[in-house]
Amino acid sequence: MHISKLQLVNYRNFARATVKFEKGVNTIIGENGSGKTNLFRAIRLLLDDNLLRMAHRLDERDFHRGIGEWRGHWIIISLEFTDVSQDETIQSLFLHGAGNITAATVDRATYNLIFRPKATIRQKLGELTAGDHAGLAALRAEISLADYETIFTGKSSADFGDPNVYRSLVGDFDAVTFPTELTPPDIGGIVPGMFSIAREIGFTFVQALRDVVAEFQNNRTNPLLTLLKGKSGEIDPTAFAPISALVSNLNDAIEGLDDVREIRTDIRDTITDAAGETYSPKSLSIRSDLSDEADRLFQSLKLFVGESEVGYEGGIHELSLGGANLIYLTLKLLEFKYQKVKQTFANFLVVEEPEAHIHTHIQKTLFDRLNYDDTQIIYSTHSTHISEVSNVENINILGRDGGVCEVFQPAAGLDRGQIGNIQRYLDAVRSNLLFAKSVLLVEGDAEEILLPVLIKQVLGLSLDELGISLINIRSTGFENVGVLFHDQRIRKNCAIITDLDQAFMDLTPDPLDSDADIEAKKRALGSQTSGAARASRLNAFCHGNPWLTAHFAQHTFEVDFILAGNSAAVVSVLNDVYSDAGTIAQAKADLESGDISRYGARVLTMAKHVGKGWFAIILGKAITPDVHIPNYILTALFSAHRPVTIETLASILEHRLKVQLASGLVFPAQIDAMRDHIGRFRRGEIDLAAVRAEMLTAFPGDRINTILAML
Amino acid sequence: MFVWNVDDLNADQVKAIEQLGSVFLTACPGSGKTRTLTYKIARELSLLTSDKQRVVAITYTHRAADEIQERIERLGVDTSQLWIGTIHSFCLEWILRPYAIYHPELKHGFRVINAHDTERALELLCSQHCGLRTFDCGHYFTSTGYVISCPDWKQARVDALLQQYWADLRANRQVDFEMILAYAYQLVRDVPSISILLGSIFATVLVDEYQDTKEIQYAILGAILKASKGKAKAFIVGDPNQAIYGSLGGYAIAPAEFSALSGVAFKEMDLSVNYRSSDRIVTYFENFNQLTSRISAGGKYKTFPSLISYDYSTNRDALVAEVVRLIRYNIETMGVPPNEVCIVGPQWLPLAGMTRQLVAALPDYSFSGPGMVPFARDIDNFWYKLARIILTEASPQLYIRRSRWAGEVIAALDLAGINSAEITRKSLLRASNGIFSAETDGLKYLLECFDAIFAALEVDRRSSPMLVEHYEAFVEGSQRRIDKLVADGATAIAEVAMFRKVFDEKTGITVSTIHGVKGTEFEAVIAFGLLEGMVPHFNENDKIAAANKLLYVICSRAKKNLHLISEVGRQRWQNNVYQPTDILLACSFGYDQIP
Repeated sequence: MHISKLQLVNYRNFARATVKFEKGVNTIIGENGSGKTNLFRAIRLLLDDNLLRMAHRLDERDFHRGIGEWRGHWIIISLEFTDVSQDETIQSLFLHGAGNITAATVDRATYNLIFRPKATIRQKLGELTAGDHAGLAALRAEISLADYETIFTGKSSADFGDPNVYRSLVGDFDAVTFPTELTPPDIGGIVPGMFSIAREIGFTFVQALRDVVAEFQNNRTNPLLTLLKGKSGEIDPTAFAPISALVSNLNDAIEGLDDVREIRTDIRDTITDAAGETYSPKSLSIRSDLSDEADRLFQSLKLFVGESEVGYEGGIHELSLGGANLIYLTLKLLEFKYQKVKQTFANFLVVEEPEAHIHTHIQKTLFDRLNYDDTQIIYSTHSTHISEVSNVENINILGRDGGVCEVFQPAAGLDRGQIGNIQRYLDAVRSNLLFAKSVLLVEGDAEEILLPVLIKQVLGLSLDELGISLINIRSTGFENVGVLFHDQRIRKNCAIITDLDQAFMDLTPDPLDSDADIEAKKRALGSQTSGAARASRLNAFCHGNPWLTAHFAQHTFEVDFILAGNSAAVVSVLNDVYSDAGTIAQAKADLESGDISRYGARVLTMAKHVGKGWFAIILGKAITPDVHIPNYILTALFSAHRPVTIETLASILEHRLKVQLASGLVFPAQIDAMRDHIGRFRRGEIDLAAVRAEMLTAFPGDRINTILAML
Repeated sequence: MFVWNVDDLNADQVKAIEQLGSVFLTACPGSGKTRTLTYKIARELSLLTSDKQRVVAITYTHRAADEIQERIERLGVDTSQLWIGTIHSFCLEWILRPYAIYHPELKHGFRVINAHDTERALELLCSQHCGLRTFDCGHYFTSTGYVISCPDWKQARVDALLQQYWADLRANRQVDFEMILAYAYQLVRDVPSISILLGSIFATVLVDEYQDTKEIQYAILGAILKASKGKAKAFIVGDPNQAIYGSLGGYAIAPAEFSALSGVAFKEMDLSVNYRSSDRIVTYFENFNQLTSRISAGGKYKTFPSLISYDYSTNRDALVAEVVRLIRYNIETMGVPPNEVCIVGPQWLPLAGMTRQLVAALPDYSFSGPGMVPFARDIDNFWYKLARIILTEASPQLYIRRSRWAGEVIAALDLAGINSAEITRKSLLRASNGIFSAETDGLKYLLECFDAIFAALEVDRRSSPMLVEHYEAFVEGSQRRIDKLVADGATAIAEVAMFRKVFDEKTGITVSTIHGVKGTEFEAVIAFGLLEGMVPHFNENDKIAAANKLLYVICSRAKKNLHLISEVGRQRWQNNVYQPTDILLACSFGYDQIP
C-alpha cells in the first residue's frame, strides 16, 4: 500500500493543490517558502501518531489567506492510498476505517481531515436565499473558531481538488448558494476519534536540521533502543542461558574482589561503632547488580562507529554531523524492516530536506538502494543535485506565484518515451529548470552566454532576479524539454529561442558563381529550408499551449544582433579576433557596410574563426547598456517573464537613469524629475503609459523607450 | 497465555474453554455459563497474535456486557482488543456507522431513536389507526422480510401502520432498534466487502444467550463468519430451555443449521451441572426441561431442604398480603437476606403497581423494581450516561466501572461534535465528584449537576444539536415518569435518594418480570400471575413449549425456596377470569405448605 494522492484545500499557502505520489521514493521540489513544510505538516496531521491531538484543532491562521474572509470555508486535507486489498488480513482494520468499496472490492482507501463549521452553522448557511449577500455577511460575522469542528473521514468519493465539488459541498460564497444537505456522503464516513488510522501504519518524520546526537541520547527517541527492544523479546531463553550464567559469575567475581569486601566490612564496622549493635542493620552487603535479563542487558548496548581513523571507533557524539545523520537514517530504515515483520503493512518515511542531513552522494545511494516493499519515502528538497536522482514521474514541484502555492507533476500525461527523454535530459545542471519561475530555452552557446549579459546591461536585472532559468538544450531538441510546460504539468512560462536561418544573400544562381559560391548558396538554401520547417514545427508545437511560445531570429543570432543596430559593438572587438591590420580594416568595412550579405558573412566568418562560444565571450565585453537587444529576444523575454511587475519596471527605469547619468550628457535635475515620476509610478499614482510618456519626453534617445513601447 | 487458578473452573468448563476451534455450548441454569464465557474471552484475548485483531462478544443486555468486561479486567487481562456489547450495538458500531455511505437510506446520516421514541411514534400512529394499540405493533425483521406478531385478523391494519411508521422514520433519517438489524443485514448482504473485512478483523466471535437470537441476527453473524473462511472462530453459548423471546423472533438455532449458515464446523458441548440450586429445586424445574439432557445439582446448596410451594387458591385481592407473608417468612423465619428475595411476575402485568403496594406494606424493607426508576432509562441517551456517573459514589469498588462510563461519555461527546481532546476520564470524574448540591429533588439535582460538569469542562451543551435533543428527551421522559409515579402515590420517587438507588448494587428486594430475571439468581423466588394466557402469553403459537420455558426460567432462578402462585379471580375479557397455567396445574409434585 502506498499514498497515491494528497489533496489540500484552503490549507495554509495552498488554495487547492493535488500532489501525486508513486510507490517507492518520491521527491517534492520547491524553492524556500513554496510550502514544502506545510505540505508535510498536512501529511503529519493525518498520519503522525506523535503529533499531539491538539494539533488537529486548526485555527484561522491555517486558512489559506487567498480566500480572504475564512468564515464559512472549509479546510480539507485528503490522502488517498492505493495498492490495497480486502484479502490481506493485516489491512482489514485499516480498510474498515478508510477503504473505499466499489463493486465488491476495495481498490483504494481515503482518509481525510476536514475542518468545517459545525452543523448548526452549515444549516443556517443552507437556509440563506440565493444571492442574499447581506444575510451571508451577517451570518459570517457571527462565526468564530468555536463554531468549527475537526472531523476525520474515510471512504470518501469526492474529488476535493475540483472547485465545483467544493462549491457543491461547501457552497458558493459569491452567488450565496449553500447546500441544504448537511451530511453529504461524498465526504465519506466519519472515523471515530478513538480509532486511529495513524496507529495502523508506520510513519516516521525526519525534520530538517535535526539534532541527531540528542536523539541518540534520549532513551525515548534513541532508534537503537527501539530496535533492541523489539529484538530482546524474541530471544530464545536457552540461547541466552549461558550469557545469564556469565553475568551471574561476573557479579560474583566483582563482589568477591578484596577491595569490595574490605569496603563492606568497613561500612558495617563504622555503622556498628556509630549506632551500636542494637540499632545497626542486621546484614549489609555490596552487590554487583548487572542485570542478567535480556532486555535490561540490551539497553546497555551502545553504538560505536569508526568514521575516519582506522582502528578507532567512537561514540555517536564523536561523529561528524553527516555521519551521525547517516547512522540515524539507517537505523530508522532498519526499524521499518523490523516493523514489517511485526505486521505494520505500510511504512512511510517523510524526510525534510535530506541535504541538510547527509552528503548528496551518500543520499543518492541510500535512496537508490532503498527498496523495501511497502515502504514509501517522500522527501523534500531544494537541491538540484538531488532532484536528478529521482525518477521524474515521482517528482512534485511546488511553485509559488504570489501567495499561492501550486503543485506541478512534470510527467503527468506523458508517454513512456517522452518520460524517458526527459529523465535522461534532466542532469544536474539542467534540472534547475524544475525550480525556475520561468524558462528561456536556447539552442546555442552564443545565446547562452550573451543573453544574460544583454539583459543585465540593458535592463539592469540579472536573470536570477527575474526568476528566469536560461537553459541551453544544445542538440536535444526543444520539444523533448518543452513538453514539460503544459496545463497538465509544469504551469510556468517557457519561451523557446531559435533561428529561422533565412539566407541573407541572394540565392538566385548566377552564371558567374564560383564553385564555392554555388556550394555556399546550396548550404544557405538548405539551412533556410530546414529553418522554415523547424519554425513551422515549433509553432505547431506551441499552438494552443498558453505556457509555451517560440521566438525566431530572422537569420541567426550574430547576424540579427548586427541587424538590430549593433555593428559598432562588433567592430569594437575586432582586435580580439583578428591581428592582421588589413583583415581588420576589411572586416570593419564589411560590418559597417549596412549590407546584410556583407556584414552577415563577415560576422559568421569571425565567429567561425575563433569558435562560436569564444566569439560570444569576446563579444560579451562589448555589450554596453546602449546596445540594442534584438526584438525576438525581447518578445521571448517578456513572454516568459510576465506579467512584468511595477517593481521590475521601476527598477529597469532606475537603471536607465543611472546609465543616462553616467553618460554625463544630461542634467542631474532631469534625472531627479524622472526619478519622481518613477516614484509616483511605484506608488501607483501614475500608470505605465504615463511613466512611459515621461521617459520618452525626458530621454528620447534612451534604448528603453522602444522596449517599453512593446509592453 | 492467560491461566487460571485450579478452583476457578470445573472440569467441564475447562474442557469447553480449552476446546480448539469453534464450540456450540449448551449450558444449563447455574452451570457457570457467564464465568465460562468470561474465561473463554480472557483466553482468546491472550491468544491473539496481532494487535489488528479483535475478539467480539455479543451479549443480550448492556448490563451483561458491562459485567463480563469488568470481570475480565479484574482477571488482569488487557481488554483493549475486546469488543463486547449487544447485537444492536454491534451492528451500529461495526456495520451501520462505518459503512452507512454504502446504504442509500443511511448515506446521508442517521439518528438512532430509542424505545421510548419508538413507543411515542407508534402511540401517535395508533391514535390515527383506530382500534390498534402499541402492543399490537410488535414486529421484527427477518432476512427475507418482516414478521408482525399480532393476531392474524389485525395483521393487515398493523402492516399499514408500520408502513407509515417506517416512511416517517426514513423521512426523518431515523433508525429504530429493529431497523438497525434490518439495515445491518442489508449492508452485509449487498456489500460483501464488509463481511470480508470484519471476518478478518475478528479472531473470535462469541455469542451469549443464543437461544434468544433472531434469524436476522444469525444471518448477519453467519455472513461475517462465512466470509472469514474459517479464520474467525465462533463460541456460541446458551440454553434452548430458556428461549423466552419467541414472540420477538428469538429462537435456539440448531448447531447444524448455524454451521451451514456460517460455514463453521462446531464441536457441540454442554454444561449440565447446576451449581446454584438444591437437588429439590433442580428436580422440580426438570419437570419443564424440554431437552433430553439431564441436569444434576452440584453446588453448595445441593442438599438444602428446599421449600417449594404452589398456591392456586389465593384471590387476587389477597395476593399482596400473601406475597408479603411469603417475604416475611423467608426473611424473618428462614433468615434469607432481603437482597436474596425476588418477586417475579409476567411482563404483561403492571408490576409497578405490585412494587408500590409492597413498598407500602413493608415500609422496613427496600425494593428495586420497574416502578422505581424515576428517569428515562435510555442507555444511548447522553444524559443518561452522564447521570450514571453523577448518581454513583466515587469508591474504589466502582472505579473501573465509573471510569468506563466516563470513557463512554467522552466518546459520546466526540460523536456529538464536541472537541473532547482535553477531557480525560479522570478529569471528567473529578468534575463530577467535585459537585456539591443541597438540592433534594432528583431531576433538579441532576440538571444542576449537568450544568456544573459542563461548566467545569468549559463546554457549552447547547452547542451540539445532538446534546440538545437528548437533553430534551431525557428531561421530558423523566418528568413524565415522575409525574406518573407521584400520581400513583409514590411521592418519594422524586427524591435524589431514589434516583441514586437506581445504580445501587442490589440492596433490597427485587421485583422483576420473568424476562428481567434471566441470568440472575436468588435464594428465594416468589412468582405470581402464573395464569394461562399470561404464562404462556395468549399470542404464542406453541403454548405448551412457551409455558415450559417460562416456568423453567422462573424456577431455575431459586437457590433455596420457590413459591408459585396462580391467583384466583383476575379478570379476563368481560365475563371471564384467568385460570392457572395448564401445565403447572398438571404437574404433580410433593409441594410444601408454608406455615
